[in-house]
Amino acid sequence: MPRSAVYSRLTLLAAVIMLALAGCAGSNNATDGGPSPPGGAGNSLPADRPATAEPSGAISFMIFGDTAEKAAYEQLVAAFEERHPAIDVSLIHIPGQSDYRQRLGVDFAAGTPADVVLLNYRRYAAYAARGALEPLGPYLERSTLIDQADFYQESIQPFIWEGQLMCIPQNLSSLVVYYNRDLFRAAGLSDPSADWTWEEFLAAAQALTRDTDGDGATDQYGLGTEVSIFRAAPFIWQNGGELVDNPEAPTRLALDSPAAREALQWFVDLQVRHKVVPDAVAEAAEDSESRFLNGRLGMFLNSRRGVPTYRTIERFDWDVAPLPQGKQKAGILHADAYCMPAVSENKAAIWTFIEFANAAEGQHIIAASGRTVPSLRAVAESPTFLNPGQKPANSQVFLDVIPWIRTVPIMAGWAEIEELSAEELSRAYYGQASLDEVIRATQERAQPLFTP
Amino acid sequence: MTHRRYQRSLLLLLLPFLFGVTLLVVAPAILSLGLAFTHYDGLSAPSWAGWANFQALATNQLFGIAVVNSLLFVAISVPLRTLLTFGLALLFARPRRGVGLYRAAVYLPTVVPGVAYALIWLWILNPLYGPLNLLLGSVGLPTPAWLVDPRTALAAVALAAVFQLGEGFVILLAGLQEIPDEYYETATLDGAGRLAMVRAIVLPLLTPWLLLVVLRDLIVSVQSSFTPVLLMTGGGPYYATLLVPLLIYQTAFERLRFGEGAAMTLLVFLGVGLLIALTYRLFGGWGYDEAV
Amino acid sequence: MMKPSEPQRAAPECSPRRTQVAAGPRSPFRLRLRAVGFHLIALGVALTFLVPGAWVVAASLRQPGTPPPRRIEWLPNPVSWSNYTELFELLPMGRYLANSLFVAALAVPLTLVVASWAAFAMAQLPARWRYVLLGLAVALRMVPLPALWLTRFLVLSELRLIDTFAALLAPAWMGTSPFFVLIYYWSFRRLPPALIEAARLDGLGPLGIWARIAWPLARPATVAVSVLTFVHYWSDFISPLLYLKSEARYTVPVGLRVLQQLDATNWPLLMAGVVVMVLPVMVLFVFVQRAFWVGERIAGVQGN
Repeated sequence: MPRSAVYSRLTLLAAVIMLALAGCAGSNNATDGGPSPPGGAGNSLPADRPATAEPSGAISFMIFGDTAEKAAYEQLVAAFEERHPAIDVSLIHIPGQSDYRQRLGVDFAAGTPADVVLLNYRRYAAYAARGALEPLGPYLERSTLIDQADFYQESIQPFIWEGQLMCIPQNLSSLVVYYNRDLFRAAGLSDPSADWTWEEFLAAAQALTRDTDGDGATDQYGLGTEVSIFRAAPFIWQNGGELVDNPEAPTRLALDSPAAREALQWFVDLQVRHKVVPDAVAEAAEDSESRFLNGRLGMFLNSRRGVPTYRTIERFDWDVAPLPQGKQKAGILHADAYCMPAVSENKAAIWTFIEFANAAEGQHIIAASGRTVPSLRAVAESPTFLNPGQKPANSQVFLDVIPWIRTVPIMAGWAEIEELSAEELSRAYYGQASLDEVIRATQERAQPLFTP
Repeated sequence: MTHRRYQRSLLLLLLPFLFGVTLLVVAPAILSLGLAFTHYDGLSAPSWAGWANFQALATNQLFGIAVVNSLLFVAISVPLRTLLTFGLALLFARPRRGVGLYRAAVYLPTVVPGVAYALIWLWILNPLYGPLNLLLGSVGLPTPAWLVDPRTALAAVALAAVFQLGEGFVILLAGLQEIPDEYYETATLDGAGRLAMVRAIVLPLLTPWLLLVVLRDLIVSVQSSFTPVLLMTGGGPYYATLLVPLLIYQTAFERLRFGEGAAMTLLVFLGVGLLIALTYRLFGGWGYDEAV
Repeated sequence: MMKPSEPQRAAPECSPRRTQVAAGPRSPFRLRLRAVGFHLIALGVALTFLVPGAWVVAASLRQPGTPPPRRIEWLPNPVSWSNYTELFELLPMGRYLANSLFVAALAVPLTLVVASWAAFAMAQLPARWRYVLLGLAVALRMVPLPALWLTRFLVLSELRLIDTFAALLAPAWMGTSPFFVLIYYWSFRRLPPALIEAARLDGLGPLGIWARIAWPLARPATVAVSVLTFVHYWSDFISPLLYLKSEARYTVPVGLRVLQQLDATNWPLLMAGVVVMVLPVMVLFVFVQRAFWVGERIAGVQGN
């Protein structure tokens, strides 16, 4: 199937080019009525096989993340192969998010994507919109191992594209505050309370920001965060603002509303006014996460993803706290899912793996590494996740936030909007441009992506 | 073996080369030309787009920024590198004791692989802990933020690129060796000073070689600027180091706009051709008769 | 093949300066002074080019996790080799090194054969052909490679070569770089025509003449092209970035990129990776340095 898909695509490409070279310029319908795009067979249900036939073969599974996260997936694969010796799973690991996206694009274009790809809910829509993903809803319906009702609906919902469940979510993480308890104690601060406010959060950050050797340069920062609209979003929502005009059917960004602007100003002021986060130079010299790991940064904003790596910290005590609260409650969803490219050949074996990974056994394995907030209610509420003997002690905060968790809009161009808004927001955050200028530019540059 | 047969079988020796060129350059180039006029996302079939990709580029702010940055990059790095190469070639042209070691030292950075080279400079230019700023700071000089400051980032990338000048260095050394010693001797007898000698003898005789070096530099500036910006700055801060090859890469492989990427590619091709032609005119031709 | 008129034209220009320059006979003392001056300048230049290397090595020996240096360090205290061991624990660096070596080891002979065959044919063919081919080689050198990434990818993908070493090796089919073909061409052009004519009358075909006469006589060119080819494939980052998928086939440059993505500001570890990648090339370069110079000069770029 992939071979012929690639072949027909290249034939078409060649045909288009021939037409072009033959002087058919101006005819806009050169390929209208041609064969339908390959991989677009969105409604092809899995072939009915006798339930007894155990699928077999070799499949590949592409993941991103640190080495500690990779180790968790290696365990998962090992457990799966023990249970299904006929299926051989090879892991493809790309650490960085942007390299992962590029790899995925290249692979899809070549017609040779990995058989299982881990995709974030902010990014899958671009592929779903082009019919490149096999909808997994029908598979889930017929599964005897997992049931949609066992999942948190908050994690399922974002992966429904045009009425169909495209991928099976592994987690429902959200943004929390990781904090260095030793530094808190040294600064005379008590652990953050469950309902701390923006003001208390800022005060803690200020108390933690110190020039330890008295040379006039800050050596220890109170706070660190990635600078992006994705990080700022929960604060915008907490302040009563929105990212887009209509989250269900967005037509424009809404960062220019007074509530959103105020929240962004607060976010930007953490650097520009209060200097409790590293400035551009300090961040480039040593990034915030490294500073946190090395015990020189008080609080770091991240999702559950950081836990496997943070568990390697030996020299200080740390824990998680919920995001501080604004005018209303809001958290932001971080969720990745197992997706199956439409061109994949061995769909039965692939589904067997996805099913295993998202059944209780598989989710227990990944959750035990600390990587995920499991999307299966039963696993999330089990000791595997909540075990207070394992850091972070206060894992419960991830579950407490679920009732008011929100998502960014699900749209094909969203990844690109995040990309350009991060560039813009950084300018304001590092004091290189005014916030109003940045908001105006972001609104304007994002607009074309709302009308593909 | 008859002459005809000999020549015909010579062509057989050419075959692997021609095969490779067709497969890896000619076919991709033709495909590129065609793709530039299609909408193609790598997932669904390409569709005819006419001039739409080029029209989109005309209003694409990022493309404009990238073109200006690339031209600036060439304008900084090519003359700087050519001058430095020329000076070093003059300094080390004459055989003397130890000159081989000096030449090797000059050539050494050129064999450092691109990825390693970019990471090395990323470290050297680290604004707080990098050796360069520590050195500047210790003697009381200002310590710019280099890659972090949008005003200095592009210049810093260009500066880092300057030290990989080995190929041009070798070319100019070879050129200098071609100048017969009598010319120098005559000039010395005439009492010509060093600078005068360079101006009157070396420069005119070296023109074809300099042209070769400059042309090579122009092309290499386009090609080899991708790895450093991808690893050192990712095109930032705020697009200050976004060069065209990086934008092509992002457009095609990250944003899956292969048609638009191909259109940019085509423009790069034309742009480089234009620069080459301009340089050629500037130098007044090869200076070779039958050349190569 | 220079225009010989220029120096004559130039000579009068400098005569007015005669008075400004002390022209008298040079004393041994002045000569020695000049020599000292030369070596001082040359040393300064050489240090500028070499010192960054020392910085890199020093950085790679820093103990991980210690606060970054606030003044120049020539040797960290304490010296720690743990970055090197961590490098090989964190990533299958040994595998990457082996892959890189494997690709380069295949690419070098293939390149030598393709480039020298093409160059030999070019040198032997009648003028008409020769100019077309030379033009082709020069034009190829002028093609900006980013212009080909995309569609070369499509071609390789159609040939089912994505995620194979063959995709990395592909450029060897065109002699890796047209420049390498030109190096051989310049070398073969200097073979005495009588020698070849005699061999041809003895009944040798092109392949025989190439094998018995041309190839052995072009040894300097072979050394130069071998080294440059090795460096090319050892350094190649873009091909594996675009055409490889499986970690098992990663080469060292991709490995370094992975390392950077894992922890972008772990400088000691990154610099250790740099040292591991650069060391083989440095050793090779120092080893063949002399031959390399001579080779480049004679075979490489002599204008005739």
